[in-house]
Amino acid sequence: MGWLEGSALGHLMRDNGVWFYGIVNLTHILGVATLFGAVVILDLRLLGMWADVPLAGISRPTQRMAAAGFCVAAVSGAGLLATKATDYIGNPFFYIKIPAIGLALLNVALVHFTPAWRAHRLRELSVHERRQLAAMGGTSLLFWLTSIGAGRLIGYW
Amino acid sequence: MRLSLFLLSGSIVLASAAPVFAHHGWGGNVDEVTAMTGMVTEGVKLAGPHGTMRIKTTDGKVWDITLAPPFRTSSAGLKQDTIPLGAMVTVHGQRNRDPNRYEMKTIQVEYAGRHYTVYPEFADKVR
Repeated sequence: MGWLEGSALGHLMRDNGVWFYGIVNLTHILGVATLFGAVVILDLRLLGMWADVPLAGISRPTQRMAAAGFCVAAVSGAGLLATKATDYIGNPFFYIKIPAIGLALLNVALVHFTPAWRAHRLRELSVHERRQLAAMGGTSLLFWLTSIGAGRLIGYW
Repeated sequence: MRLSLFLLSGSIVLASAAPVFAHHGWGGNVDEVTAMTGMVTEGVKLAGPHGTMRIKTTDGKVWDITLAPPFRTSSAGLKQDTIPLGAMVTVHGQRNRDPNRYEMKTIQVEYAGRHYTVYPEFADKVR
């Protein structure tokens, strides 16, 4: 953490005027909103909502927006953290947030390795396959909500 | 039906978040405004959500001095180079509710005969 605070990113965050942190903070929120807005639609579809809309039609745009949102949130988030990284040591919400993001990304990787996901653009999925993806969608919602919730609460510790 | 369910769950989330919003700001600090004098060990930084500074009081405690957001602190005349390291300052503010946390939300900083009131709207609480 001390290394991150002293890094070029930390200096960039601290030495660019009184509005810089606020603008990066805004960018972080836009990234999170884009990420979660896409995730919630895909996950609810996996959980059975809008069953009349083909999954393949929803998965493409939501995946791309989620990935774009995640990149924006990750880069801006690293900047916010680097501003005063040592302040986050001992903050329980930070220790919940980071592993929750890790687990959410692990879930993304698992979904992509699942045969049902690989097949969803090519054929109708079986009931078993749909249940499997629904479970993963629910897991995804849980992890992202945990990371966003904990992230929001960092400032209240 | 589904839409109303969705809106309902949304309002529940918002309602449960409301106390959290109320907490942000001054809720974590005591109401009483106190003053303390100490030596600046870490100068004013106008980075992050709030300006910050560290002072060491005569009893050896190092206090985190939380100022107004960077723009407001700077507008009050308190810049990063206004107070040199090692200078004696008096701060007026509301300390953290947790007696083991040496943190004060600061309304006014006194240095070299000047008063930097970073929260002018709470100036009447000072003394």
